[in-house]
Formats: sequence, C-alpha cells, structure tokens
Amino acid sequence: MHLPRFQYQEPGSLAEALALLAENQGRCKVIAGGTDLLVALKQRRHLPKYLVSLDKLVPLKGIREIDSVVTIGALTTMAELIAAPLIQDKLPGLVQAAREVGSPLHRSLATIGGNLCLDTRCRFYNQSSFWRSARPTCCKMGGKVCHVTNKQNACFATYAGDLAPLLIALRASVKLASSRGERVLPLDRFYTDNGRHPNQAQDTEILTEIQMPAPAGGVTGTYKKYRERAAIDFPVVGVAVALQMDQPTGTCRDLKIVITGAGSRPVEASLAAQKLLGQELRSELIAEAATTAAKEIRPVKTSHITPRFKRQITSLLVEETIKELGGIDR
Amino acid sequence: MKKLIKLTVNGIQREIEVEPRQTLLEVLREDLGLTGAKKGCNQGECGACTVLLDGQAVSSCLVLAVRAHGKTVLTAEGLATDGQLHALQQAFIAHGAVQCGFCTSGMLLSAKALLDRNPHLTTREIEESIDGNICRCTGYVKIIEAISAVAQNKNS
Amino acid sequence: MSQYNVVGKGLPRVDGPEKVTGKAVFTVDVSLPGMLHGKFLRSPHPHAKILNIDTRAAEQLPGVRAVLTGREIADVRYAFVDTPRYPADEQPLAVDKVRYIGDEVAVVAAESEAIAEEALSLIKVEYEILPAVFTPEEAMQPDAPLLHENKFTGTSAWEDWGATQRVNTYETETTHRNLSGRTFITFGDVEQGLQEADYVREDCFQTAATAHCAMEPHAAVASYDPIEGKLHLWLSTMGIFLKRYNLSRALKLPISRVRVHHSYAGGAFGGKIDVFPYEFCAAYLSMKLGLPVKIELDREEVFTTTRQRHPIKIHLKTGVKKDGTIVAQDVKVIADNGGYRGSGSIVIFLCHGFSFPIYKVPHYRYEGLSVYTNNPVRGPQRGHGAPQIRFAIDSQLDLISRELGLDPVEVMLKNVRQKGDVLPNGDMLNSCGLRESIQEAAAGINWPEKRRQFSPAPAQERFRRGVGISLCAMFSGAMYYPFASAAIVKLHDDGSATLYTGAQEMGQGCYTTMAQVLAEELGIELADVHVVAGDTELTPIDIGSFLSGGALVTGNAVKLAAADARRQLLECAAELLGASVEQLQVREKKIYLKQAPERFVTYTQAIQASVFKRNGNPIIGTGSYKGYPETNRYPSLAKGKGLFTSAYGFAAQTAEVEVDTVTGQVKLLKAVTFHDCGFPLNKTIVEGQVQGCVSMGMGQALSEEIILEKGQLFNPSFLTYRLPLATDTPETIDGLVSTLEPNGPFGAKEVGEGSVAGMTAAIACAVHDATGVRVDNLPITPEKVLRALTAREKALS
Repeated sequence: MHLPRFQYQEPGSLAEALALLAENQGRCKVIAGGTDLLVALKQRRHLPKYLVSLDKLVPLKGIREIDSVVTIGALTTMAELIAAPLIQDKLPGLVQAAREVGSPLHRSLATIGGNLCLDTRCRFYNQSSFWRSARPTCCKMGGKVCHVTNKQNACFATYAGDLAPLLIALRASVKLASSRGERVLPLDRFYTDNGRHPNQAQDTEILTEIQMPAPAGGVTGTYKKYRERAAIDFPVVGVAVALQMDQPTGTCRDLKIVITGAGSRPVEASLAAQKLLGQELRSELIAEAATTAAKEIRPVKTSHITPRFKRQITSLLVEETIKELGGIDR
Repeated sequence: MKKLIKLTVNGIQREIEVEPRQTLLEVLREDLGLTGAKKGCNQGECGACTVLLDGQAVSSCLVLAVRAHGKTVLTAEGLATDGQLHALQQAFIAHGAVQCGFCTSGMLLSAKALLDRNPHLTTREIEESIDGNICRCTGYVKIIEAISAVAQNKNS
Repeated sequence: MSQYNVVGKGLPRVDGPEKVTGKAVFTVDVSLPGMLHGKFLRSPHPHAKILNIDTRAAEQLPGVRAVLTGREIADVRYAFVDTPRYPADEQPLAVDKVRYIGDEVAVVAAESEAIAEEALSLIKVEYEILPAVFTPEEAMQPDAPLLHENKFTGTSAWEDWGATQRVNTYETETTHRNLSGRTFITFGDVEQGLQEADYVREDCFQTAATAHCAMEPHAAVASYDPIEGKLHLWLSTMGIFLKRYNLSRALKLPISRVRVHHSYAGGAFGGKIDVFPYEFCAAYLSMKLGLPVKIELDREEVFTTTRQRHPIKIHLKTGVKKDGTIVAQDVKVIADNGGYRGSGSIVIFLCHGFSFPIYKVPHYRYEGLSVYTNNPVRGPQRGHGAPQIRFAIDSQLDLISRELGLDPVEVMLKNVRQKGDVLPNGDMLNSCGLRESIQEAAAGINWPEKRRQFSPAPAQERFRRGVGISLCAMFSGAMYYPFASAAIVKLHDDGSATLYTGAQEMGQGCYTTMAQVLAEELGIELADVHVVAGDTELTPIDIGSFLSGGALVTGNAVKLAAADARRQLLECAAELLGASVEQLQVREKKIYLKQAPERFVTYTQAIQASVFKRNGNPIIGTGSYKGYPETNRYPSLAKGKGLFTSAYGFAAQTAEVEVDTVTGQVKLLKAVTFHDCGFPLNKTIVEGQVQGCVSMGMGQALSEEIILEKGQLFNPSFLTYRLPLATDTPETIDGLVSTLEPNGPFGAKEVGEGSVAGMTAAIACAVHDATGVRVDNLPITPEKVLRALTAREKALS
C-alpha cells in the first residue's frame, strides 16, 4: 500500500512545531523515526492531514547528565542510545533494552520518544484496511466492538514497548511541551491503561525529553525480553527490574518490577516487589514473588499467544532477572 | 505539493522533485532507476530495501524521501568503485552467498554498515547485524561465512 | 570429482556479479514506457454470491484507464491441474461467487499504482453471504455448503499432445462432498498384513499451512503490441513454457504470439507455477488497452492470495515384526485444499509418491482426499507433500522403535530400499544412497552418544538435548508440459560457447550448473560459456523447475547438445589431422592426437575448417531429453499407476535439539543432511540449496504457521509469520553421498527440494528424545511443548 496523501511540515523550532499542532489540532501527527507511524499510515489506521517532522528540533536531541539527573532527548535513536558512553556507563540496562527493539534497521531510525509513545497493538487492529473491512470496525478504530473479547466500547489492545518498563523501574519522567507550556509526568503516570488512548500526551503536545535520576550506588537495572525470534518481533512479554541491594547484608533496599506486553500499559508488579522489600534475597522468596507477579498482569489474547503462556513466561523472567541482578545462584 | 530535495546518491549529487508521501525506496526505484533496493514487504520487516543513509543501514521503505534531503545515500549499485567490486561483493560471490539475489543488496549494505563501524566481529555479532534482513534461499550459512571472511581479512 | 575439470567444482555463480551490484533485473524491476499499474479488489468474505458490482465511480477517477470484472471474461477458465478427471476450476475474476477471503473480484488499471489503489475503494460490490466451511471435516459433511457446483470439461496438456491414457475413466467423485481429488492405491493385502504383524501402531498427525516467503513478491508485466499482434510477458516464475502454454490458451492467442522474456525470479519454492489472476489480467488489460500493464502483489496479497502448503491430516496404521521389519501400512491422508483445487489432487498423490520409494512395504493401502474449504488456496511448496508425510511416517517409526526397544537407525536400515529395487509402479531405482546416507547422518550427529533413548537415567535438567532422524525422497523430473528440455550450443570463433536454455533462474543456480555441464562436455572453461536463458523466443523448451528436473532433464539436454557440438569439432579436427575421431583427445580448446600430442589443431582452426569445408557450418550443437525416457501414457494421480520419474534424490537428516523445559522453546543446535544427489554439479551450489532446505524445514517444524480464523489469515506479514532469521541458524552439516545416477548427466539427479522434508520428523523425534514428550502436530511451538510436558507430569504423579 502506498502512503496516503498528507502535507509535510518541517518546523525549524520547537515553538513553531507546537504552534502547528495547536493550529491544526486533531489533524496532525508528529513523525520522528517513523518506523511505527508510517506502517500505520500504509495500513490506513491513521489519516492525518499534516505530518509534522521533528527532524530539525535540535533541543530534542542529546544526552547529558547534570546534578545526577540524566536527560535523554526524545529524538535519540536506539542506535545512538546503544553507542552513548554515558548510557553505557550509567544505564547499561537501558543499552540492553534498546538493543532488543526491532531489528538493527529499526534501531537506526526509531527514537526513544517514539518507543515510549508506541501505539498499542492487537491482531485485529494491526492489519491493512482491506483486512479490517472483513468485519465491523473495532473499538480502537472508532467502532463499538472489541473483536478479542466481544465486549462493547472497550479496547484491550496491548502496549508492547521495550523501553518503558526499565525507565519506569528507574523512576524516569517525561516532559511534554505544548504551545501553552510544559509539564513533567512520572513515566508510570504517562500510561493510561486505555487501549484506545494508551498515553497522556494530548494531540497538541510533543514529548521532548526523558529524565531520570542517575542510578545511585548499588542500583542495577535490566530488561529481559521473551519473543519467538531473536529480532524484529515485539515482546510476547518483557520484564524490567531495578534492584537496589544492601551489599553487606544481602537485603533488598528497593525493588521495582515492570512488565510490558501483558496489558494496555506497562504493569508494575508492586505486590511481588513488596514480598522482597527489606528481605534477604533467597531463592524461595524470589520464586514466590515471581508467582505473584504473574498474577498481577491481566493479559488479553491480542496476539495468538495465550494469556496462560504469558503468565508462565512472566513468572520465569521475573525470577531469572531478580536472581541475576541479585547475584543469586540458581 | 511536491518538494525539491537534494541528496547525494552513490557519490552523485541529485536534485529531484518528490511528493511528501513518496518513500526513499520509491524515489530510488521509480525516479532514479536504481532498482537494487527491493520492495520485499514495504513495512520495514524484511530488509530487502536496505540502503545506507549517512552511513547507517535503514529500511528505505520507512524513510520519507523528503527526510533524505541533504543526506548521502549508498545503494548496492554504488558499492563497487573504479570497476572493482567491494570486498563484501567479492566474498558473497566467492562463498556462494548469493542464490536468488533478491535479499543480496540489503544484506551487503547491512554488512557494510556493521564492518565500517566495527571491524572486529564474532559470528554472533554478524548474525545480529543482519537479523533484520530476511533470506529464504540460503539459510544464512554462506552469507555469514562471507561476511566473516571479510571481517577476518580486515583484521589481518 | 578430480576426474573432471569443471563439473563438481564449487565455481562462482555466473549471475553473481549482476546480483551483487544490484543490476540483475527481476520481474518487479521491469518498467516499460507508458506502463500502467493494476490492483485487485478482493472479497472480504470467505463464501458469498456476487449480486452486483458497480464500477462507475472507479472508472471516473482521473488516471484510471480500465476497470474489469468477471462478467467480461466469464468463459475463461484455467488451473495448474486440468484433466478430464480434474477439470480446471479457476477463473481470473470471480463471476458468480467468491470462495475465499482474497478471491479476486475486479481489477483496475491506472497510470500509477497509488491511483489504482484509490480506485478500489470506489468500487461497490453487493454480496450475499453464504455459509462457509473451514475444515475438511466440515466440508465433507453431507449437508455442507457446496463450493463448486458446476461441472466442466477438462482438457489436459497430455491430451493436447496426443498422449492418451489407456486406463482412465472420468468419474465424478461422489465418495464425499466437496472433494477436489481422491487417490486410492493398494498392493498386497493390508488387512492380512496387519494381522500377521507382531506389533501394530495407529497414530494421527497434523501439519500446518505454511508460506513460501519468496522474497520477490509475485508480479507480472504484460505488453501487447497490437501491430505485430504479439504479447510480451515478464513473469516471476519457475516454468516459462508452461506459463506460455496456459496463458496462450486462456487468452485464446496462438502460442507463437506469446513471448515470455527473461527476468530473474527472486525465489519461488513452488509458489510461482500455478496460473495466477494477476498474470492473466495484466495480459488481458494490455491487450485491451494496447499499453504495458504491470501488476505487483503486495506482501499481504502474496501471503493470502497466491498459494500455501497444504495442511494435511495423516492417519497412519503400521504393522511390524518384532525386529522392526515393516509388514503392512494403512495410510489415510486428508488435505485442506482451500477454495480452489490448486494442486490438491497432486499433493495427495505425492504423499504416496514420496513415501513408497523409501521403505519396502509389502502390504499397503493408501487413500488420499483433498477437500475444498473456504480457506486460501493451497498449491505446490518445496517438498509438496513430502514434509507432511515424512513427518508422519518417521515420527511413527520412531515411536514403534521405542516401543520395541529398538534403535530407529537400525529399523530404518532394515526397511530402506536400495539400488536395483523396482517400485510397485514400475519406477526403477538405478541409484539409491539411502543406506549410506543413514549411516553418515547418524554418525554426523554422534547418534550413539547423543541419543537419550539409550541413556540409563531420565533427564532432570532444565535444558535437555536429544537427537532424531528422518528420511526423504524426491523425483528428478516427471512428465508434464512441455514434457522435455532442449538446449542449443553455438561456438564462437575463439572456441568459447553460448548456451541457449529455457531454464529460468530462481536461485537454484541453474545457469551456472548448466554452463558447467556444457563446459565439461565441450572441454572448455566455465568462463568461456555465456548463458542465454529463460526466453521462450530465444531459447528452446525447458521442463521448468517445478518438477525438480533441472539437473537430470535439462542437464542431460545440455550435455547432449555439448556432445553434439563436440562431435562436430572432432570430425573437423579428424579431417584436418588425417586421423579418426577415436584417435583424438581434447584439452584447453585444442584437439590432440592421443599418440602424438605435438600434432593438434585449435578449436578456432576446427571451426574455420567447418565453415569453409562444410558449407558454412559454424558448429551448432543441439540436444534434448524427455521428462521421463520411456512413456506412452501419463501417470494416474488417482490410481498411482504409471511411471513417475526416472530417478529419485534421497536424503537422510538428523537433528540435535535443546529443549528449555521451562519455556518450551526448542532450539535446533545442529542439522546433518547426507544427500544423495547422484553427483553434485557444483558443490557450493548444492551445499547452499541444502542449507536453504534445512532452514525452511526447521522453520516449518518449529515456528512457521499460517494462522487462520474462519478463513481469515491473521499473520500475512514477515513480522507475524515467523520464518527463520540469521540468529536462528543452526550448525549445518551437509554431506554428499555420490551414487552416480546412470540416467543423470555426470551422474547428477535431484537436489534443492528434497531436504526440507526430513527436518520435520527429525526435529519432532529429537524433541521426544530430549524430553520424553511427542508433539504430533506442526509446528512444534513452545506452548505445545509445555502443554505436553505438563500433561506428562500430571500423568506420572
């Protein structure tokens, strides 16, 4: 399918870009890497009148650390994240997560902002317009019914971004700019759990940067992705863990477990984490936490993988990841 | 409304009017007659359309042509210089890494992008670098051998 | 192999430079002045009547040149299978009704592809939805909706060519509803045989629909020149002469008025030999509009509306003696054909055809049914029945061996055929390397050490390894239009040569291997050969690449043409040297007296002499070879009678897997294939073909599956259809068993299709060996493995 017609705008500054979004509210889409958006356009899932390029917005690029706060420009590509010395040094888990995104070809173009704003996915939604014409319009496309659940007026499309889990676990925030100002949201509040509108960004806003505290001593974070093939595929399930250990005692000072691919938003397995907070990390306890984590997700069969299998894998990944970070032998 | 873009393709400055909705792949194939980059899926999932954009391997079906303004593009047609095949092209032929040839342009460019950045490679790194390029004919074995051979030559 | 100068060697491909420089022209690259683009409107319903089509708005869109519906071409009918028993059941555009989601309803020709796409949304179609069936079981019910009501008269290429079949009556298949084909074959007395067996086992297996995934999408360019009255075609295909034949009939053009031009095919794997609507419509529209028309399918269309591998249910009942000798086998096969016959009647024959050359089975009964359903259409795909039937037979043989406490390798060796065997239909095995292949493949995987079956302790660890083995066989050519291959060689002044062959390159390396055959026979170097190929005007007939006849049939034709040219050269040289032909030998484009090598003439001199002394004859050699040497009737697919092929390629394949018993993931660590291709015409090309087969076999064993719900394909993309990527590559060993097939050029026979089929059972058996659980339906996904492991744990506790 060819791309639909649109007007292409290349604002030279953030202010100009935001003015365009305000002026043409509801009829614009911003384009960064384009690896998700252009497929959506080819499949006629979006038909924006204007495509607003972010290419010239210099302030949205760059990675820096000031006063122990790491700031990553939203236009930073996966390839740039992976190669950045600051990220390799301070946030190796993020390098790992970035390496899991798509394939090398995606990573040259795909941006961190775009990955955080990834649209939710479903086997009935991520299809061409011809394919979707075989059945009534689904809820996510503006119709009434969800073909997965047969429920009315509810969308269960799955969020499957690879970077959000670790960034949430590391307490990142995002800055959203509009022509009326800026706001900063903790990343875990950025996601709505609404399959139709997966995140808080309004259509007059642009996500400009991601900030997080540079991990203090003793904090490690990592991301494990389970998928059917080693590249290209979205996660069946992905688990990020950030762990702060008190080394002498071997107890867990801080723990965050965040899961992607198992709901309409990244899910924080807080009950699971609570089992381990303040405790010495022991195999049996970790296994219990992993079982609990699997119960905290409510996967819906938006792909052909069963929810049951997703829970099994979630439990496994949580257990493996905590043990790995905690240096516990298996 | 068409836009005029200027870009360097295989070392030659080109000026061309494009519609915003044209992808770089379409412009290369249809307007510039460079059919080395192939349309395998048009959705960035197979790598047959891989070109180097400012030295980075990208799926040209996912790049709007207007974004290539002011940039350099390298396609398979531009790999050989002064009548000499690039080491990768020679290795692909010598090792039997070419069968139907449809994925070949993309494979060569993904491999080149990797080797230009990092000449020291393990087999695993080679495999990962072409993980976005699908081949149905070869089972990848001889492609990996060919790229390895060039990597080893670079080291010695 | 060292006895030859050129054949056998892994010489670089002659089409290599073109392909690595992006210059090779594939069908999708062809562009002609004034060319229009076509796009199809397709049915979103699996089964529906077409009540009305309103194309007026589409016709008005600026840039649209024509909109065509089935009404205008309602009398056109074609199919891959078209015989009196199985008449052609396809039309380029649906007339009365549609039979699967994606069925073509209208086609638009416009100045650009984008405009054609836009026009599609302006066409209004009124459907009356009909009840649909999605499994063969549903479709065979007595009250199931009927997919094909009308009965047509089939002709066939054989009838056209005057080959009559003595034993053939056209019977309407009334045994089941919605049958698109039935094969029934029996020899011996299977009931008696089962009674006499010491041990009988009954199992059911199921395989999935899979996609070819040729990287070049299906496409056709047609250019009709009204002044010369000639249709020019560029087709990404595997058989230019069969396409020309079928399309000229469908378009009602004399065959001499249709020319298929050369273009490279970016992979085919069996998926590009049926006649397709986009080929017919591109041609028809070009004839109608007097302009070139190109139709290129997008990837979703390729997945959904071209062809898929038949999902097949196999019911297998086998009786053996205590020592594993097979006594009787009762086979029932049901293939899900989809909305049109495609190759359904062939695949159910081939499930028999690819099993009976392997094991000797004295008492045998085989019934194959192919059934119409409202699913996408199924056709030939690399192996064409072999991956499915071998999965069943060798999985079961492994189970039987385990029950009897025997080593499956030993059981196989007890039962395999050997050179000299005559098969029940009359085919002779003039070469057969099965025994050696089995032994080598087993040794290559370290069978005795790695086989868990004989380990004392059951596995407890999370990651468990095991090995499995399977065998496969493949025809080396068969009889179908154009029934033979021919070749022409012309010599140039300097002794170099041009080879004219109708073969089409789709990745299998035929230009190179045929050039090597020529060079060897003619005593010149590969670099001295230029190949002109794949053009129905410039090159003589060729059997095509869909019957695995490239090496044996085309190879023989080329060798004979080269021998003809060589004979003429030697005769001229003999005259010049005053000797007899027997006294001469050839080396480096010179012809020597054996006894006095200082006396020689060059090829150039011999050619000059030929021109001056033989009335201008510049030395042109011709040769031809039939698809099957001796035949006066064509084989019956329904009864399995008649001769199929003059040689079989064989392979034994072993696999070592590692199963993660916590996630269910199966990783193929190592695949060993010992292939009997008679003689490898080019060692590197043969290796590459086998490696590709192994990859496809692995994919179809572990992760490839076309996911259908109520006839709709849910994974029509490379993202969601999980074919192997580079990091999935196992350690791949290919070995050759050289049996030197007497009928083959330099002893060569089939390679390039067979070794997909051994992977499915080898992997399934290896998974069982590793874990103790068997998955009997493909693909062997992590979820299925986990379910089987959980079920076994429950059963044990």
